This record gives sequence, structure tokens and C-alpha cells, in this order.
Amino acid sequence: MAPAKKKEPRAPAKELGPGISAQGRSKTYKRRGLWAIKKKNGGKFPVHEKQAKPAETEGKAPRFYPADDVKTPLKRRHVQKPTKLRSSITPGTVLILLAGRFKGKRVVFLGQLPSGLLLVTGPFRVNGVPLKRVNQVYVIATSTKVDIKGVDISKIDDAYFKAAEEPKKKKGEDEFFKADAEEEKKELSKEYIARQKEVDSVLLKALKPELKGYLGSRFTLKAHDRPHLLKF
Amino acid sequence: MPFSRYVEIGRVALINYGEEYGKLVVISDVVDQNRALVDRPDEVRRIINFKRLVLTDFKIDIPRLAKKKVLSAALEESEVFSKFENSTWGKKLAKRALKTTQTDFERYQAAVARKKTSAAVKKVFNKLKSASE
Amino acid sequence: MVQGGYKYHQYQVVGRHLPTEKEPEPTIYRMKLWATDPVRAKSKFWYFLRKLRKVKKANGQILAANEIFEKKPTTVKNFGVWVRYQSRTGYHNMYKEYRDTTLNGAVEQLYQEMASRHRVRAPCMQIIKTATVPAAMTKRVNIKQFHDSKIKFPLTRRMARPSSRTFKTTFKAVRPNVAMH
Repeated sequence: MAPAKKKEPRAPAKELGPGISAQGRSKTYKRRGLWAIKKKNGGKFPVHEKQAKPAETEGKAPRFYPADDVKTPLKRRHVQKPTKLRSSITPGTVLILLAGRFKGKRVVFLGQLPSGLLLVTGPFRVNGVPLKRVNQVYVIATSTKVDIKGVDISKIDDAYFKAAEEPKKKKGEDEFFKADAEEEKKELSKEYIARQKEVDSVLLKALKPELKGYLGSRFTLKAHDRPHLLKF
Repeated sequence: MPFSRYVEIGRVALINYGEEYGKLVVISDVVDQNRALVDRPDEVRRIINFKRLVLTDFKIDIPRLAKKKVLSAALEESEVFSKFENSTWGKKLAKRALKTTQTDFERYQAAVARKKTSAAVKKVFNKLKSASE
Repeated sequence: MVQGGYKYHQYQVVGRHLPTEKEPEPTIYRMKLWATDPVRAKSKFWYFLRKLRKVKKANGQILAANEIFEKKPTTVKNFGVWVRYQSRTGYHNMYKEYRDTTLNGAVEQLYQEMASRHRVRAPCMQIIKTATVPAAMTKRVNIKQFHDSKIKFPLTRRMARPSSRTFKTTFKAVRPNVAMH
């Protein structure tokens, strides 16, 4: 970033609704400029070491009371409760995605992950949506249900979706001038593809051709459509 | 052009406002220039404003303030309610009502069916067109 | 039932003077009047009674106050209403006729009409008497014209209206079509 630009105040985080920021995690990361701090510290966030408490001297009581009140931190008894699933979303429900790359796609809901996010799949063969996590606020639940008996999602957890950290390659002069087409394509891990196929294969068998067509089509609003009056 | 639909006893009318939109009633008596007493076999007779009514072409033969039995018999005999439902107007209303209750999947099915018919029509049309040229 | 929805309801209030040594069994008075609730009905009862007889709230008691409902709310009747009201210049008496299914509905119409035609508010009005008038004895032409078992008239100036308030718009794109048919 140019130094002149650095002085500009950060744009405040916009909220779509209570607790839902307009920008995702990666956008916020960029906006806050955390990457710059990380870079300056050699790829790690600076950590302030905790100051060691002075060893308490035993025996003699202090001669004076401390002049200032010592603030004790408030006890936080708050326990984060698991996210409550909308009653209209049950395993097998067809959902309409509302945000991101796959917006408008109809997908099948498989189950809720411990983080509260919804595990969905296209299936990939039908509409190109892979196994993926979504927040339920970015989703419209339809009344259509798909039989997902036999689909095993026990092996899939939140960690499965965590992108593996990849060391960034510095672009040298030679590479810079090389044509972009030569850039090597990212390969998906074999395990990832296998997992997708394993889940989808069961699901595809259960899907009738008409439902396949339905899942393959995108949801759009047309003129005179009143989304608040539509039944899903 | 003379009028074809009149407020008269036995005239079948349609409620065109509010919760009861699309409900058929029979005029049982006229209260005054603004209101009528309307009846239905499954309801208590009540007053309704003419502003919330549209008159239909149908009329049944009942006396003023007809008893439920007489009304039901007259309706059954003349079959006006089913006649209205089979009329263009009734079909239009039913179609509109169906559209509001359609689910997302049903909308998709309807769109597919629509595409199929229009494709078939187009095919025949083009065939005839090329034949005539 | 059709009986609800009216602002004013008919009440019957029964009361009398407190029994005294001289008069151990005072006369009982019953009054039928219109009020928004039983409390106001009782208040109105005392207002009228102290004008008519030598009884007031301080030396009287109420024996009963109940609402009166229409016996046949599904038939249309002709109601005659005798009313006394205070205008800006003085007191006037009036007789009016209404067609309705309930007496309460007729009284509601009366209040509306008096307010619109004569700018008389409800507290300035005193309903003297009401009656269900047989068709042959009605006086007003507007009422008489509906006494016809073969009544027949068209509805004119019909306008397409929205099917509920949600669909109401302030500004219209096209002028309404009021063609008569």
C-alpha cells in the first residue's frame, strides 16, 4: 500500500443484520490491514509477553493500602450456545443459496456442523456446488425435501474445510514476465475429491431426474415477483 | 347498452376485498343503497357493503330472506357456484389463487412444462411456415 | 355475530331511590340507553333520572345494568328514532328512520348522520325513543323505496379496487375505468 493511502481512516465494518458483517473474514482481514502487521513481524502476529507478577513477599504486611483501586475483571459466565437451526431446515431440505459465488443455486442440506454452519452439497455433478459450509442466514429454506438416507457425513467436520496453509512463492523477475497461462493449476487433493464423490454417489441415486433438473437450475426473481409473498 | 347485472334478491355476488376475497355469496335482501344482506349455506347471514361486492351473471330463484334449507336447495339445483367456477372468470381466480400457493419446486415444474409446450408449438409453427413459403 | 363492531351498545339500567322510613319501597325505574360501556351507561342513567324524577346518584341505587342484544340480527328492519339534540342555537327534536339488522346499527347510523349533516356530536344528543316500524307506517321516502320484494337496481360507477389495504397505492398510473355494465 502507498504511504499516502495508509493515513486514510479505515472504512467501518458494515452490518447486514445484527451480528452479520457485510464483509467476510478474508475481506475484513484485508480491510483491517492485519496482513501488513503480520508481514512486518515475519509472518507472525506480535505477541506481548505477559508481565511476570512480582513474587509476593511473605510475612510482613504492606505498610500502606494501595492508593488506587485494583480493578478485578468481571466474571464472564456467558457460555456460547450452539446455533439454533431454523425449524424449516431439516436434513434433506433443498436450500437456495443467497450469497457468494453460488448465489441462486439450489443445494441439498446434509447436516449442521458443530460450529453451527450448515453442511450442504450441490451435488457437485448436478450444479457444480461442492461440499460446503454456509451460515443459515444466507439461505432460503424451501419446502422440498430430498431423501438423504445413507449419506454419511460423520467424517466431515469443520476442520475438513480449513484451507491448508501454503507457502507463498515470491515472484521473481523471470516468473513475472512469464505468461500467466503457464501458471500451474492448483490441484485438489485426492482425498477431497474422493469425499465429494462418496457423498454425492449416494445422493445422486436417490434423486429423481426432475429433482436433478430442479437442483441444476438457478433461482432468480423476475418482474412482478414479490419475494415476501412467495412460498418456498 | 343496458345493464346486464342487477342487485336483486338471489343475485350471486363475489366478495372482492380482504380475507374473504373470491368467496361467493347470494344477496338475500337489500338493506339500503349501500348495503345488502348476503347469505351462504355455510355462514350466518350478514350485511356487506356493495363496495366489497362484484355482481356475477348468475341469479337463483329464492324469496326474500330465504331460509338456509331453501337457499341450499336452490343453489344445489341451479349449481351456480360450480357454474361460476367453470366460467372464464372463475378459472382465472382459481389460477391466480393457485399461483400464490405454489412452492418453489412447483414453480420450477410449471416453468419446465411451459417451455415444453412453447417448444412444441414453435416446432409446428415453423413447419407450417416453411411449408407455406 | 353481526352484533359486534358498534361503538355504542344498548344497555338496560334499573335503579331506584334508596328506601327510607317514609318510603320503604320506592318506585323502580328502568331505562334503555346507548353507551360505550356499562359504566357510562350507569352515569347516563343518573343524568336522565335526576332530570325526570327527584332521584339522584347520592340518594339512589342501581339494581341492575345489563346489555341488550338484538333478537334477530339476520333480518332487515325499519327503525324509527326520536332524538333531541342541542345545536349551536338551541334544542331541536327530530324523527329519523333507518334500515338495518340491529337497533345498535341504526343508532350508529344516527350518530354518523347527525354528525355529518348537522355537526352534532354524540354527547349533545339524547335518544328519546326508538321503535321498529312496520313497512306500511314508515314516513321517509328513502326508506320506502326499499320496500319491494322484487327490488332491482344496477350498481353504477364501479371501480376496480385493490383486494386488500396492502395493495393500496396513493398514485395511480392509469385513470380508473368506470364504464357501466
